[in-house]
Amino acid sequence: MLQIKNLTKVFPTGTVALNNVSFEVHDGEYLAVIGLSGSGKSTLLRCINRLIDPTSGEVIWNEHNITSASGAELRRMRRQIGMIFQHFNLVKRSSVMTNVLSGRLGYVHPVWSLFGRFSAADRQRAMAALERVGIADKADNRADQLSGGQQQRVGIARALMQEPQLLLADEPVASLDPVLSHSILRYLELLNQQDGITVLCSLHFLDLVHRYATRVVGLKGGELVFDGLPSELTPEKFKEVYGEEAEMVQVAPPHAA
Amino acid sequence: MPPENKPPSSPWFPALLSLFIPGSGQFILKERSRGFVLFLTVIILLSLIAWTRAFVLLVPMVFLFFWSARDAYRLAKGRQPGWGAALLLAGLVLYGTAIVVTEVRPTRLITGLPNVQPYLRSLFNPDLFEQPTEEITGVAPIMVPCVDPLPAPNREASTDHILIPEAPCTEVGNLLHITGEGFAPNESGQMQWIDPLGTPRRATLDGQVVVFTADENGRFETALTVPQAVPLTAQPAPGETLTHAVRAVQSIPSGRLQPTQTLSLVWEKIGETIALAFLATVMGVIFAVPVSFLAARNLMGGNAVTLAIYNIVRAILNIIRSIETLMWAIIFAVWVGLGPFAGTLALWFHTVAALAKLYSEAIESIDPGPIEAIRATGANWPQMVVYAVLPQILPTFTSFTLYRFDINVRLSTVIGLVSDAGLGFLVVQWVRLNRFSAMATAIIAIIIVVAVLDLASGWLRERIIQGKPIISSKNPVVRAAIKLMIVVAFLATFAWSWQVAKINLVELVTGAPKGLALAREFATPDLFTRPTESRAISTPLTVPCGAAESTIPADPDITLSVDCGDPGDPVVITGTNLPPNRTVSIRWVMPDGAFLRVKSNCCDTDGDGNVTLDAAINPIMVVEEGQTEPGRVEITYEEIVGGWQVTETVRTVIRLSIVTLLMALLATTIGALFAIPLSFLAARNIMGDSPIGRTTYYGLRTAFNIARSIEPLILVLVAATWVGAGPFAGVLALALNNIPNLGKLFSESIEEIDPGPVEAVTASGATRMQSLVYAIVPQIIPPFLAFIIYQWDINIRMSTVIGFVGGGGIGQQFRIWVSLNQYGAAATAILAIVIMVWTMDYLSAKARERLV
Repeated sequence: MLQIKNLTKVFPTGTVALNNVSFEVHDGEYLAVIGLSGSGKSTLLRCINRLIDPTSGEVIWNEHNITSASGAELRRMRRQIGMIFQHFNLVKRSSVMTNVLSGRLGYVHPVWSLFGRFSAADRQRAMAALERVGIADKADNRADQLSGGQQQRVGIARALMQEPQLLLADEPVASLDPVLSHSILRYLELLNQQDGITVLCSLHFLDLVHRYATRVVGLKGGELVFDGLPSELTPEKFKEVYGEEAEMVQVAPPHAA
Repeated sequence: MPPENKPPSSPWFPALLSLFIPGSGQFILKERSRGFVLFLTVIILLSLIAWTRAFVLLVPMVFLFFWSARDAYRLAKGRQPGWGAALLLAGLVLYGTAIVVTEVRPTRLITGLPNVQPYLRSLFNPDLFEQPTEEITGVAPIMVPCVDPLPAPNREASTDHILIPEAPCTEVGNLLHITGEGFAPNESGQMQWIDPLGTPRRATLDGQVVVFTADENGRFETALTVPQAVPLTAQPAPGETLTHAVRAVQSIPSGRLQPTQTLSLVWEKIGETIALAFLATVMGVIFAVPVSFLAARNLMGGNAVTLAIYNIVRAILNIIRSIETLMWAIIFAVWVGLGPFAGTLALWFHTVAALAKLYSEAIESIDPGPIEAIRATGANWPQMVVYAVLPQILPTFTSFTLYRFDINVRLSTVIGLVSDAGLGFLVVQWVRLNRFSAMATAIIAIIIVVAVLDLASGWLRERIIQGKPIISSKNPVVRAAIKLMIVVAFLATFAWSWQVAKINLVELVTGAPKGLALAREFATPDLFTRPTESRAISTPLTVPCGAAESTIPADPDITLSVDCGDPGDPVVITGTNLPPNRTVSIRWVMPDGAFLRVKSNCCDTDGDGNVTLDAAINPIMVVEEGQTEPGRVEITYEEIVGGWQVTETVRTVIRLSIVTLLMALLATTIGALFAIPLSFLAARNIMGDSPIGRTTYYGLRTAFNIARSIEPLILVLVAATWVGAGPFAGVLALALNNIPNLGKLFSESIEEIDPGPVEAVTASGATRMQSLVYAIVPQIIPPFLAFIIYQWDINIRMSTVIGFVGGGGIGQQFRIWVSLNQYGAAATAILAIVIMVWTMDYLSAKARERLV
């Protein structure tokens, strides 16, 4: 279980990105985080694995306080929490295989790994992860030779290498076209349902939220303004999160592919 | 079993072949380029080993042969082997030879350290201001020895600053107490003893120099030992005495601090440095703009004639650019004489070529869309240029011009190494005179001048690129006034620069014959020659008639119209059966071997090998008393005794070109090796926001910028004292310049990496080292390699001139040849440099292409 308690983040520039945000995520949930650009979604996700240090508040992960952890302890917690990114964040010049293996860095020997040494087991695990996302044949390609959708699958495979219990997805489909969006989100759904991985995913499109999420939290100006089921997200509530002028937009449904 | 019976599919056959001829196995396996590269590498490395005689390097070579065999074997087995081990081995041999050739002796870095200490110390103690001092002296006569009666001293005592000895006379070796009054209060001073001849010396007490300090009333008391102050030969007679004197000297500061002479000289040369750079840039722009239009493919590609002009202009520009400015300075110095003018010409010449190339590329890259659009509105050609072409090229032109101005400032700080202009001249002079503080002043001036002008042009460039107005005021009157001021300031600077650079266009004309002679020599470099031997034929000539006659017979091919005569008598000298159409010398030769040319620049044989010369008998031919043999008339000529071969010059040039290349290689490698770790410490995103991180970042960046502003040519002066003149000093100087240069470029490219992968790897629980290796290193390899290649290109050019001031390589020999007036040889060196620079530019352009 992930507990977020009174989380506040003020950037050195004075921007309040998160303001006293509290909620809980139960194991096995597929939680969507919605809100406008700049509403604090990315900051929230990055405070959970401490890519950003919160100004105050706590993040408790399975009884362990992430916010107070440091060094090896923090890294041990991080390796249980996978993350995928809007811009995929692959090392473009490295091979797909190397990118996927780099998801294992939290487990392997900190010195031997510097020379590119990975155990045969890890390599098999990486091939398995690539097969799972359907791009095993691209293992030896350079990452920048892949299309956007394929790159995001490499990102998922990299996160799988961590054998995560929680997966943070920071607008994983915002850089992809609608058809690919569904295929990526279906992979996350699969991981959520088959492997029981809790998913925390920030999303832009409401129909995607309705289709995949089991629960929704809404952020506006750094504050939590909605916490409920997708079905409770009425057009009125939607306008509350996104502002008066927002309109609900449809993204092509999966069968359109 | 003969090998041809073996099926080619057996992996052992190509392996065996490659063991003996590396690359051959790969070749027959259809890996043609792999085999060729391998073969060529082995040949080059073997020749380098043979040349340097560093036979220990044959050990890695043997491994390379085995690698070649293994590679062929693996290729035959259908595998795709890499190059790793071969690169390592070849690198080992290459660097091994480079170290031998450039005489790198790391121990000298330590042993020579005491030599550079004065330089380093003086950098913190520049010669800037001095305190004028005023001397306060008091004198009192004293008689030695004491006699009775004591005569009056022949020396006056001072009246305003009074010295009172305890007695009017004393004896040598005695202790003498002295009181002083009316001196500067609370200031110390020295006591002096003045002998009867008036020569002062330091007064001592028990072997210690006597120093006093006056109290607040200007009084003091002191004591000294009376010295034996008269030469023993001039001792006073018994009963007589001599007038000595004691003197107290206080040296007290007075008036305001004044700049030293060093500083005023430096100040003057700062002006000269800026003037040279300014003038060369302005003149460069004026000439480069029209030339750039001729060198733009999109303007000249129309028909065959213009295309030919384009190609010729391009080629000339490339040749001019591949010869360093300093080389041009030496060449122009031959033409117009040493001085700022030659330096300005060289800077200008190089600037025209460099700017014309940059401008023409800017013209080539203009967008044809606006031209089309303006044309479509019905505009005429000038309107089109003003509205569609100029707006597109002006910002780039200005930016390139400012960039070139920066380069010219740097260059004019070193142009003084070969002429007497600019700050570099002072540095060289003061290094030679061991005046370290003065030298430090000049070097600090260089750093400041370069930094200030860099900042100024950087500010201007940014404004232009961002399209911000340079004049911020909106008031039209103020704007007009400021514009007028800028124009006036520009013209005034130009006029002043013209004055300072001692531009004397007349010298271009009066020096033209020398320049033309030089050009002719350069058009005919010393490449090939046929070995010759000197031959002589001679016949005796008795002067006057009746003097001793020769016992040595005459050669049949030389005849004279007379057998004997008096000085001044006419004589016709005829030579036959000589090589046709050849210059021969005809000379009078005395029996002791002394000779005198009959006529200078004489004489050419005709097509049949005959030569005739009317001459008058020279007085040296007179047979003097005691001589038994008369003088002779001799014709000497060179006879070709062998086939064509390359000259000694060519051999020297090839050898030195290799040395130069290896110098550049070593310097680039050392520079990169040191710059890589430093660049991480100088990258903002790596160092973070902690106080230590920020301090390291700012400290290193500042150090980089300061160190970068000192040209390698100045550094080599220091390096030559450190490790001794020669290629090692050149390598050291280049490396010392490359470390901050590459450090800056590297750290900037680290700052530009995509932070995404770092974030992703960190999120997976990786340590800092792991994220460095997996997320940062793969991203920085391409820019790092690109910058190393860029530095390598610069180093090649630099190492051709670093020898001018003790850095070894081809530049050193070039300068020697020019100073010996051996312009043909110098031309050969230039030819080699052009070829070398072009080849390396081509190779690095290819390498860069593969990186992208």
